[in-house]
Amino acid sequence: MLRLIGVGGVIAYRALFNWTTPAMFIGTLLVGPVFQLVFFAFLGRQLAVGSDHFYIVGNAVLASSGACVFGGVMAVSNERRFGTLGPVLLSPRSRTAVFLGRALPYAANGLLIATTTLLGGVLVMGVPVPASALPGLLLAFTIGSVSCAFFGLALGAIGLRFRDVWLISNVAVALMLLLTGVNVPAAALPDWIRTVGSFVPITHAAEAARRLVAGGSLGDSVAPLAAELVVGVAYAGLAAVLLKIFEAESRRRASLDTL
Amino acid sequence: MSLVRMLAVGTWLHVKQLSRSPFEIATSILIPLVQATLAVYLFRASPQPQALLGAAVGAGLMGVWSSVLFGSGGAIQRHRWEGTLEVLMLAPRRPVLVILPFTIATAVTGTYSIVATLLWGRLLYGIRLTFADPLGFVAAVPVCILSLGMFGLLLASTFVLMRNANALANTLEYPIWLLSGMLIPITTLPGWTGPLAAVLPTTWGSRAVRAAATGGEVWGPLAVCLAISLVCLALGALALSYVERRARAAATLALA
Repeated sequence: MLRLIGVGGVIAYRALFNWTTPAMFIGTLLVGPVFQLVFFAFLGRQLAVGSDHFYIVGNAVLASSGACVFGGVMAVSNERRFGTLGPVLLSPRSRTAVFLGRALPYAANGLLIATTTLLGGVLVMGVPVPASALPGLLLAFTIGSVSCAFFGLALGAIGLRFRDVWLISNVAVALMLLLTGVNVPAAALPDWIRTVGSFVPITHAAEAARRLVAGGSLGDSVAPLAAELVVGVAYAGLAAVLLKIFEAESRRRASLDTL
Repeated sequence: MSLVRMLAVGTWLHVKQLSRSPFEIATSILIPLVQATLAVYLFRASPQPQALLGAAVGAGLMGVWSSVLFGSGGAIQRHRWEGTLEVLMLAPRRPVLVILPFTIATAVTGTYSIVATLLWGRLLYGIRLTFADPLGFVAAVPVCILSLGMFGLLLASTFVLMRNANALANTLEYPIWLLSGMLIPITTLPGWTGPLAAVLPTTWGSRAVRAAATGGEVWGPLAVCLAISLVCLALGALALSYVERRARAAATLALA
């Protein structure tokens, strides 16, 4: 089972992730998030909203969202696009293990991207992050990335049923900018956005990372990290359920390979 | 067919084509609305008073730039994928006249963003659509759109030379938003960014549109925007002719 999840996940990543060329990987996944961070940090400076740390840490955690959400979507919907969904679903192995294992390479990607974005943000903005916060930050990045990858997988599952999954994923990534409270202090957001945001990946991981950079101990961040983990597990469960439902429906409607 | 008519008909054709795509329409409307909402809450959180109309207009301009960047930047690649590039290049007109309508069309469909963010701001946040210079706004938006279309032609012609143009396009969205001061004039940016911003038509176009909305000089920045865009058009035309000749000679027109 571990081999199925690990090796299967890596093979699927190599086959289905569209952005593995060096230019796409570096340009879209590594450089793009740094520019996003710099944009919001300077906007925050100009408007006198939030400190540099607020934007650097928040956007570093959020940086994983692009790779994780789009990666999760590609992990499922590209099977259909490339015409390989049928053979995958003919496999006698657990569908849940096959697909959930695919989230892991994207989570690893997310961790790498969040770390490089943090580094880029620190260098460009000239604002250091306390070294004591780094182990906790890595933990927050990891949990945030895993949670986000499962969220992407849940969106990808929708791709088994609906054709416009790229529209959904693009809007979802844009909504995360607003709902996670990464770029607007929570106090400035209305209650409904904060409530919705608490069910969105990254929100709690960003909160945990900010506590760590503010000088808090890892213990201070346990609650938000646990909340982020719960959100991630919930999306993993949702992805598994949606994959089962949509697989059954596509078999029944004979629409498995319909694009 | 007169030149103007050809450009107009070509632009209209491509606008209709782009407007048939649920993905294009939804991303032109929904994502700018999210950005407008984010901008409104950021502006409200600022201790300094901010003109919320500027947030709505700025978010709309950001949407126009995104539309131009991804639409025009990938224009030739898109025609290549759709198998229409060879037919277009067979037309008895200069390549610039064939591709320009498409890049202008991406800017025109980007105006859905401005309309959407203004309506969103009015209906949801009660932002009064009282423009400091209504006539200036009515003039500045179409000129800005036309200028961005011409800038898009330069993007289209240069991106086609790069195999990884998509990667470049994905990184250029936020820097141009920032340098052009689309959402808000950024005075805290390092000094070395000034000359970079000054050569971008987006800087002058957004300055003119924002000034028309919230106050300031409109016509001067608009004239500079148009002048820079005409230079972009000339450079784009030269680059397109060069690319077309090279692709014909090497028989690579239809190859990615």
